[in-house]
Amino acid sequence: MPEIKVTPLGAGQDVGRSCILVSIAGKNVMLDCGMHMGYNDDRRFPDFSYITQNGRLTDFLDCVIISHFHLDHCGALPYFSEMVGYDGPIYMTHPTKAICPILLEDYRKITVDKKGETNFFTSQMIKDCMKKVVAVHLHQTVQVDEELEIKAYYAGHVLGAAMFQIKVGCESVVYTGDYNMTPDRHLGAAWIDKCRPDLLITESTYATTIRDSKRCRERDFLKKVHETVERGGKVLIPVFALGRAQELCILLETFWERMNLKAPIYFSTGLTEKANHYYKLFITWTNQKIRKTFVQRNMFEFKHIKAFDRAFADNPGPMVVFATPGMLHAGQSLQIFRKWAGNEKNMVIMPGYCVQGTVGHKILSGQRKLEMEGRQILEVKMQVEYMSFSAHADAKGIMQLIRQAEPRNVLLVHGEAKKMEFLKQKIEQEFHVSCFMPANGETTTILTNPCIPVDISLGLLKRETAIGPLPDAKKPKLMHGTLLMKDNSFRQVSPEQALKELGLAEHQLRFTCRVHIQDPRKEHETGLRVYNHLKGILKDYSVQHLPDGSITVESILIQATAHSEDQGTKVLLVSWTYQDEELGSYLTSLLKKGLPQST
Amino acid sequence: YRDLHTFELQAPTRLIEWARGNRVCVAGYGQSDGNEILQLIPPPTLLTKETQGLCPERDFKVECGGFSDRPVYSLKYVPDTSLLVTSGPPDSSLQVWQVSAEDSDIIKSVSTIATENGTGQSWAKIATISAKDPWVLHGSRLDRVQITEVESRKNVYTAASRGSEELSGLAFLDCNTLLLCCATGRLCLADVRQPQSLVEAVAAPCSEHWCMGSRHAAQDSEPSSQPVARLSSRGHLTLTDLRKSSEFLASAKARVPSPGSGPEFLCVSWAPALEGYLAVSGFDGTVHVYDTQSWDSSGREAEPIFVHKGHAFGGAGGSGDPPLVTVHTWHLQKPRTLLSAASDGSLHVWDWVEPCGKC
Repeated sequence: MPEIKVTPLGAGQDVGRSCILVSIAGKNVMLDCGMHMGYNDDRRFPDFSYITQNGRLTDFLDCVIISHFHLDHCGALPYFSEMVGYDGPIYMTHPTKAICPILLEDYRKITVDKKGETNFFTSQMIKDCMKKVVAVHLHQTVQVDEELEIKAYYAGHVLGAAMFQIKVGCESVVYTGDYNMTPDRHLGAAWIDKCRPDLLITESTYATTIRDSKRCRERDFLKKVHETVERGGKVLIPVFALGRAQELCILLETFWERMNLKAPIYFSTGLTEKANHYYKLFITWTNQKIRKTFVQRNMFEFKHIKAFDRAFADNPGPMVVFATPGMLHAGQSLQIFRKWAGNEKNMVIMPGYCVQGTVGHKILSGQRKLEMEGRQILEVKMQVEYMSFSAHADAKGIMQLIRQAEPRNVLLVHGEAKKMEFLKQKIEQEFHVSCFMPANGETTTILTNPCIPVDISLGLLKRETAIGPLPDAKKPKLMHGTLLMKDNSFRQVSPEQALKELGLAEHQLRFTCRVHIQDPRKEHETGLRVYNHLKGILKDYSVQHLPDGSITVESILIQATAHSEDQGTKVLLVSWTYQDEELGSYLTSLLKKGLPQST
Repeated sequence: YRDLHTFELQAPTRLIEWARGNRVCVAGYGQSDGNEILQLIPPPTLLTKETQGLCPERDFKVECGGFSDRPVYSLKYVPDTSLLVTSGPPDSSLQVWQVSAEDSDIIKSVSTIATENGTGQSWAKIATISAKDPWVLHGSRLDRVQITEVESRKNVYTAASRGSEELSGLAFLDCNTLLLCCATGRLCLADVRQPQSLVEAVAAPCSEHWCMGSRHAAQDSEPSSQPVARLSSRGHLTLTDLRKSSEFLASAKARVPSPGSGPEFLCVSWAPALEGYLAVSGFDGTVHVYDTQSWDSSGREAEPIFVHKGHAFGGAGGSGDPPLVTVHTWHLQKPRTLLSAASDGSLHVWDWVEPCGKC
């Protein structure tokens, strides 16, 4: 049976890193190449030695696919392609290709410059890696080689995130990456057609959560910001250049408008330009509402949100500032943080995950005295809040996606097996498909049942449908023909046509059998006896007595001759073609039983 | 409100039960098969006593789940064991389940406690109590009340028969005293130690459908010292002290829309941490909180202290009937926090603030 093999790579049971190997119909594809953000050593990279110990990865892998720009999905890519060594194609969507190198470079700076690590990829490596990238459009079928094709589907979640379908012949796998089934303010919801893949690979990290409604989260966020601003404090929101920042901006802008608030909101200049640039570039990737309003006014040009200037940080009075980078590890957000940390009226709201070692991580863990450069101690009196707006699919979302795609099998990655039993049963019960949950490093084999399409010739079709009962649309009809396999095409034609095409002559096979019967009479009379006997028994068949004395039953010929040595024995020669084997054997055994005495 | 969280379950529930370790259990009742029983871990905001504003973890987590082949109308945990008992149509038998959160996240079906099924029997009401033996009190009609030992499924007690009215609720007042509430509003008391003793405590008031709310049986307080509240399908509320059951302690009328939507989801419950407060739901998409200390026995309309309207606004507007609150329950420690669920699958957790002048 043909099989699809899936192996999630990585050391241990960790959830933080995505990198999956898929083997389908002889092709090997790597899905995502993420880095684990919690480790500082080689454990953060997936274990590539699993793929091949000494062979070249380029020879082994047909392609690499990256679903979106989050570092836990693409962070190890430069390491993989430049330090371990891979020169084959890397596929990702256009926005991902544009944004990935920025995040990789940013991350490289923290790791190498701030933390002083040595075994890490360089800026040049990032550039070289991106040269190997082939960008794809949504719903565009890309031929990786003659047999392997891939197609990207919209996944929501972040700008440029995609789910990928990988197809070889009739077998296909869909990998979801991270996706979101509910639209938010600036991105739509994931969507896929009824592509019926043999396997759907989906992350199940958030499958067990029942999420607090977005309205409540937003309401609480706005409440906090409002309270701080009302009492004259300043709110700092460190963000990445792209991602949730846009969502929060739209949220604040609408709130400020509705509540008629006057406090200024600022957005770091570099940030605005870059973000606007990318969103304009990839406007088709945002949701309906934004695209519609973009014509009238740029959704990312805000009325209440203005460009920030360094000097503003010293202005008295309340304000809200969005600044990069997101983890407070360097740059403008850190500068602002240092200025405002000492005042308890101020607040910092961290909108996402912070890597260990960054100031963001430290203050979220509760540290209130931080050591800065030059051994200065910074006392943090401002309020520290955390608000996660990340968009992931929960159990309901996973079920929705499975319903949309109709896979034959489902594979869940990134969940503890013990805690996934319920979801597995739920999926199996509702959709009647098999559900797998491999651990990292464990290979799961899925048996597939591919359909092989065969063209049937019109002549054969007409002929076969004319035989026997009328064709019934609801019942299968058995047809006979010859299967020709030529140049990767399969055709079913009539035997005559097959012989003609192949230039073969048709051979006729004829069998003859001798049956001895005791009959002293003349051959002619024996023949008559046989004829009457058979006519009596074989009422449904055409039994004829020919002028020369021989008998035919359908196309089978029977002749009575005298035995050369024994006058009392007659020899019946029964002769039939291969096509009439069944009737021929039956006749022979019938005649061997002898003739009835009466005739 | 001081706080409001709204969640959406995949399927609506008509029960919310608290379990050990602050877990919450909900179960589906909609389909004839494939209903889920979910044991949820509430987000940390709900577990701590102080209300936090922004918190990283704001979601419920499904800790374990099970599949029931019948709708789950009632569920009770058996204290001091890892078992729970459910009941639902089409008959009055009980299903026993095992929760084993350690090695798997499946709630497994363990056994069934069968009951004799007469004609026209509806689903059984259940009650459990923390006692030395894992007992479950159950029955669908007044003449079919029994206590069964959960693990051995042996019948331990059968109540004497005093009529065959349908029951709307039953409870353990303490290890020996049972309180039964008929749909007609009749309240009966029984003593487990004396099988024949089924005493009518309060007569059936009128022709509406009634349900009751009693305080959780506490170990050391006198069983009948807590008043029992009864709620009718037209919104009448009566409070009765079981020691002086001939007269009502107090009675009032809740402001409910009429015509009412049927007695299916009527629910009344006492606040565990606030003296004299009770909550009422089941008439529409709202939950009312009343302070009964200001009531007298006149039965006139009472003003609710707080009305939670969230369920009426949630979900896809305009399609079909507005959501109906199916059940509500109080948080065991946080005095003003309630959880409520509605027929559209929403689950709300809300913390209300006393209106000014009444702190």
